[in-house]
Amino acid sequence: MQAVHTREPPQQPGGLNSSIWDSSAVLRRIRGPLLAQEMPSVSVLDYALPQRPPQARDEERDPSERALPRRSSSPIIGSPPVRAVPIGTPPKQAAIPNFNQQILCPKPVHIRATMQQRYPAPYGERMSPNQLCNVPNSSLLGHPFPHSVSPVLTHLQRAQLLGGAQAGRMSPSQFARVSGLVGSPLPSVNPKLLQGRVGQMMSPAGGFRAFFGAPPAPPPSQLPHPPGPGSHLQNLRPQPQMFRPDTTHLHPQHRRLLHQRQQQNRNQHRSLNGSGGDRGGHRSSHQEQIRKDPYANLMLQREKDWVSKIQMMQLQSTDPYLDDYYYQNYFQKLEKLAAAEEVHGDGPKKERTKLITPQVAKLEHTYKPVQFEGSLGKLTVSSVNNPRKMIDAVVTSRSEDDETKEKQVRDKRRQTLVTIEKTYSLLLDVEDYERRYLLSLEGERPALMGERKQKICDIYDNLRGKAPGQDRLSDDHFMQIMCIRKGKRLVARILPFLAPEQAADVLMATARNLPFLIKKDAQDEVLPCLLRPFSHVLYHLPLGTVTSLVQQLTNLPQSAAAPTNLHLTAVLQNKFGLSLLYLVLSRGEELQSSDTNTELMQDNQWTELMLMATRELLRIPQGALAKPVSIPSNLISLFSRYVDQQKLNLLETKLHLVQGIR
Amino acid sequence: MNYMPGTASLIQDIDKKHLVLLRDGRTLIGYLRSIDQFANLVLHQTVERIHVGKKYGDIPRGIFVVRGENVVLLGEIDLEKESDTPLQQVSIEEILEEQRVKQQAKQESEKLKVQALKERGLSVPRADTLDEY
Repeated sequence: MQAVHTREPPQQPGGLNSSIWDSSAVLRRIRGPLLAQEMPSVSVLDYALPQRPPQARDEERDPSERALPRRSSSPIIGSPPVRAVPIGTPPKQAAIPNFNQQILCPKPVHIRATMQQRYPAPYGERMSPNQLCNVPNSSLLGHPFPHSVSPVLTHLQRAQLLGGAQAGRMSPSQFARVSGLVGSPLPSVNPKLLQGRVGQMMSPAGGFRAFFGAPPAPPPSQLPHPPGPGSHLQNLRPQPQMFRPDTTHLHPQHRRLLHQRQQQNRNQHRSLNGSGGDRGGHRSSHQEQIRKDPYANLMLQREKDWVSKIQMMQLQSTDPYLDDYYYQNYFQKLEKLAAAEEVHGDGPKKERTKLITPQVAKLEHTYKPVQFEGSLGKLTVSSVNNPRKMIDAVVTSRSEDDETKEKQVRDKRRQTLVTIEKTYSLLLDVEDYERRYLLSLEGERPALMGERKQKICDIYDNLRGKAPGQDRLSDDHFMQIMCIRKGKRLVARILPFLAPEQAADVLMATARNLPFLIKKDAQDEVLPCLLRPFSHVLYHLPLGTVTSLVQQLTNLPQSAAAPTNLHLTAVLQNKFGLSLLYLVLSRGEELQSSDTNTELMQDNQWTELMLMATRELLRIPQGALAKPVSIPSNLISLFSRYVDQQKLNLLETKLHLVQGIR
Repeated sequence: MNYMPGTASLIQDIDKKHLVLLRDGRTLIGYLRSIDQFANLVLHQTVERIHVGKKYGDIPRGIFVVRGENVVLLGEIDLEKESDTPLQQVSIEEILEEQRVKQQAKQESEKLKVQALKERGLSVPRADTLDEY
C-alpha cells in the first residue's frame, strides 16, 4: 500500500528529511550489481535489489515500491501509522530465512540498500543514532570488542533485519535472530515514536542509547529497553532492568526461555563472526542432518516459538481455579505427593518440570465506539465488544388451555431440571467456601459465612419447593426432584450442609414416599447413594424422630381394613429400602440401650411399633426380601426384646442376622 | 526445549514422519513440516494409504495442507518399525479394485437389511432426523 506523499517546501539544510514524503515510489528494473561501489563481494541481494538511481542524492529515496517511506528521526514529522498486526498473523518471513537453506532462486528483497553506503563522519550531520550503529567500525562504538568480532553485519544479516523491518510489522521474535548486533538494528526508529505505537514492537532504544553514552540516567519518559541486549552491553553501561512491554503477555517460562535463546544466539553468532565466513565445527552435524533431509527446518525456530507463544497465552487466565479446575487440582495433588515423598525419602529430589498456568490480572475494558470529529451522528459499528441488536425476538408464553397433558408433563419436568441445575450451582459455591475462606482476609470472613448460610437456605428452599409463607403441605416438588437421577445425587451431596431439622425433614419425606421412589428408581438404581448421608443424619436424631421415621417407613399402624402392608412390602423388597430400615432400627436400638432415662411416652411408642414391625417381618416370606447393603450388628439385640426365642430364631434365619449362616 | 511439559504440542513432531487420519476416513502418511495454532498441518511427500483387509496400497500425493479441524488423530511413525508389518503392499490399481468390491458388498448387505426390516414393519431412522429429546 502506498503512502500518500505531499511535496514539502524546500528542505532545510542538513536537517530533516522531509522529502521522504515525496512521491518517489517507483519500481525500477533491476540493473546490474547495485552495491558495486561499496561492497565488492557479490551477494544474492545484488540480484534482487531494485535499482537505485545513479545520481547522488542528498535525500534518501526509497526506490522500492512496496517499502514504506523511511521514517524520519525527528518526532516533529510524524511517521505513517503502523498497522497493528493481529496476533494470529505469522511472523513475516525474512528475506533469507536461514543460512542452512540453499537459496534456489533469488527472492525479491526490498531492502533499504541506502543504509549500507553511508559512511558519514561521526557527528557530522544530524543523523539518527541507528545509522551510526550500522556503520561498521565507527569510532562511536567505543566498546572494547576485538576487531575481529566487530559487529559488522553481513549482508544477509542486514537483509534479514531490514527486510523484516520493512513492512513495519515487527514481531518480537524477530529480535531473537539479531545476530552479533550490539546496537539497534532498526534504522531511524525513534523511541518516542515507538512509544505511541504498537505495544508489540520491541524497543531497540536500549541499544543506541548506550552508544551515545550521554545521558547517564535514562529519562524516565523513555521507553523501557529490553534487558536482553542490555545485559549484552554490560561493559558499556549498566542499564536498569525494566519490563519489556511486549512480552508481558508471554508466559513467564516462555519469556525466560526466549531470553536464554537470545543469549545463546548472540553468543553463537558472535563466535561465528569471530571465525569469519567459515561456519565452525559445530555446524558439521547440522550439515549431516541437512544432507539426510534437505527439507528440514522449513519451519523456523522463530515460527515454532510463535506457535508456542500462542499456546502459552491460551493458558493464561484471570481465574485459573475456575477455568482450569481439574488441572489445578491435579497439580496440587502432584505437589502434595512430591512433598510427602521429599519428607520420607532421602533420595535425590526429582526435578519435575511442571506447567504452570499463570493467573493474569483481569483488566477492565470500557469500550467506546469509534467516533470521528466533525461528523454528524455516530457510526453504526457492530463488533464483539459492542453487539448490535439485529433481531427483535419476542417471547410469547403459551396459554394453559392449548397445551396437552403431555406437554404439561414435559414442561414440569423441564422446570424440575432447571431447579436442579440452579441448586447444583449453589451447592458448588457452598462447597467452595472453605477454600475461599482460607484465601480471604480476616475482615471478609463473616461476610463469607453469611453468604454461605444464605445459599444453604436457598438450596433448601429449592429442594422443598418455595413459598416460604405457607406450610409445606406437599412433598410434590421434592418428589419431582427425587425422580430424576441427578436430583437424587444432588440431595445426597446437599445433606451434609443442611441443619439437623431440615435434614430430618428430607429424610421423612423420603421415607413417606419410598414405594413411589423405589418404583421410579427401578431403572437407575441410584437410591443407595443416599444411604451414607442418611446414616450420618441419623446419628443426630432423637428417639422421637426415629420413631416417626420407622412409622413412615413401615406404614404402621395400619388401618385394620388393609390386608397387606404394601408399603412395607415394597420397602423390604428393595435394597435401599431394607438397608434404610435396618439403619433406622439400629439407631433406635442404640438410643434405647444407651439412654436410660428416655421419656415413657416415646418408649411406649417405640415398643408398640417394634412389636408390630416384628410381626410383619415374620409374616413376609424370605424369598421376597432384598439383599441389604449392610446389616447392623445390634439388630439381634433389638429383636430379642420384643419376641420370644423361637421367633427370634426365625427372624435370624430369615434376615440372615447371624453371621455365618449365609 | 520443552516449554510445556505435560501437554501435547506438535512442535516436537516437526520434520518427522507421521500418519494422519482425517475425518473423511483417509489415511495420509507424510513428513510433518509445519503447523500452526489450529493444528493445520503441512505434510510433505504425502502418500495416501488405502487399506482393504490385509492389503494396502499407496498413492503418492505430494504436499498436503490439512485444515486442523479435519484431523482425527495423528501419530509419529517409527522408521525402523515401519516395514515390520503383517500387511501386504499391492499396486494402486489392485487396491482400488478391492476397495470398490468391498464398498459394493457393503451396500448390498445394507440394502438387504433395510428390506428385511421394512418387511417386518420397522425402520431404522436416519441419523439426521433423530430427535434430541
